[in-house]
Amino acid sequence: MKKKLLIAILLLPLLAAVIGLVVLYHLPLDLEDRAPSQPIAFSHRQHVGEMAIDCRFCHRSVDVSAIAGIPDVDLCRACHLFIAVDRPEITRLAEFWQQNQPIPWERLYRIPDHTYFPHMMHLNAGLECGGCHGAVETMAVTRRVVATKMGWCLNCHREHGASIDCWTCHR
Amino acid sequence: MSEATDQLRWGMVIDLDRCTGCGACVTACQAENNVALVGKEEFGKGRNLHWLRVERYWEGEFPHVRARFVPMLCQHCADAPCEPVCPVYASYHNPEGLNGQVYNRCVGTRYCANNCPYAVRVFNFFNPEWPQPLDQQLNPDVTVRSRGVMEKCTFCIQRIRGAKESAKLEGRPLRDGEVQPACAQTCPPGAIIFGNLNDPDSQVARLARSPRRLRLLEDLGTEPSVVYLKGGGHEHVG
Repeated sequence: MKKKLLIAILLLPLLAAVIGLVVLYHLPLDLEDRAPSQPIAFSHRQHVGEMAIDCRFCHRSVDVSAIAGIPDVDLCRACHLFIAVDRPEITRLAEFWQQNQPIPWERLYRIPDHTYFPHMMHLNAGLECGGCHGAVETMAVTRRVVATKMGWCLNCHREHGASIDCWTCHR
Repeated sequence: MSEATDQLRWGMVIDLDRCTGCGACVTACQAENNVALVGKEEFGKGRNLHWLRVERYWEGEFPHVRARFVPMLCQHCADAPCEPVCPVYASYHNPEGLNGQVYNRCVGTRYCANNCPYAVRVFNFFNPEWPQPLDQQLNPDVTVRSRGVMEKCTFCIQRIRGAKESAKLEGRPLRDGEVQPACAQTCPPGAIIFGNLNDPDSQVARLARSPRRLRLLEDLGTEPSVVYLKGGGHEHVG
């Protein structure tokens, strides 16, 4: 009896470790801050939701390049030279402009260096921005809505009949 | 191991009668694919990295000596000996007839290099270092491989994908000669031709039917995608 108890006690941590590893493997663990505070409290809800500005107006290279592109301070400034110039966040924007500095935005979506993700091919295939980036038009603070893990990529590629050859994304 | 089912089957023709052994292809390859340098000492231990090398052979006795050059790269075999030995499927065959290497899968057993009869697979014994200002010339389209990973020629897969992407965006088929690996692009005498072997009218397919054709170690049955041309009576050295 005592022996059985001893074996059970020894096996328990092992079982826990195995279950832990399985859970680690299956959960889309996304431990980084999903909605980090940005240097300027930019609201997608205001720009996309209320003003109905198209994504491509600011993220200009999204349909021609692999990289969607973060707008220059120049582009922000082009509108905010006239719009809401006296609000505190806009004066901070003006400070970046006057110091000739880019805005150090915190990156939300990160893809490993060994992975190639072309935005333009996905848009060309008819996918919507919101399919991956969520309903940004409702987000006052922009947050990451998906953990960009390989399983997530593959599911969508299989669903749409896109290539699942390794060298399509890794090279 | 599988047959290429795609309408594309990439292949290369290297005209040895045109090759002068200048080594421009090696330099271009090194720059395009972020192939690391290991230094003199490690080079002496055979730990150098090369996706493409020019082998030199001497023929004849002095003073009637002739140099022969054979640019050597991954042959992208249809029946590749490196593929079945990989325990983690890092070495795999792609639908376009390319022999792929997936760096993030590779665990560094080096079985593939051991099984490659052409000795074109190289192993990263160290994390590569790019002293200033060399880090500025890294190609952003190509992964920088880390320690413990096997690597080899990819036929410049980033250029193949780039050309396919622009063709798709413009809604047209790929043109012959649109994809050029760095070595083919830089070769001064134009000895390296790259293209789709499944298109009988492509330049590479026409040259691959030449009577001068030969494939390296063909008796092993590896079915290489690289065809060498030799013996046209135009040898310029000698």
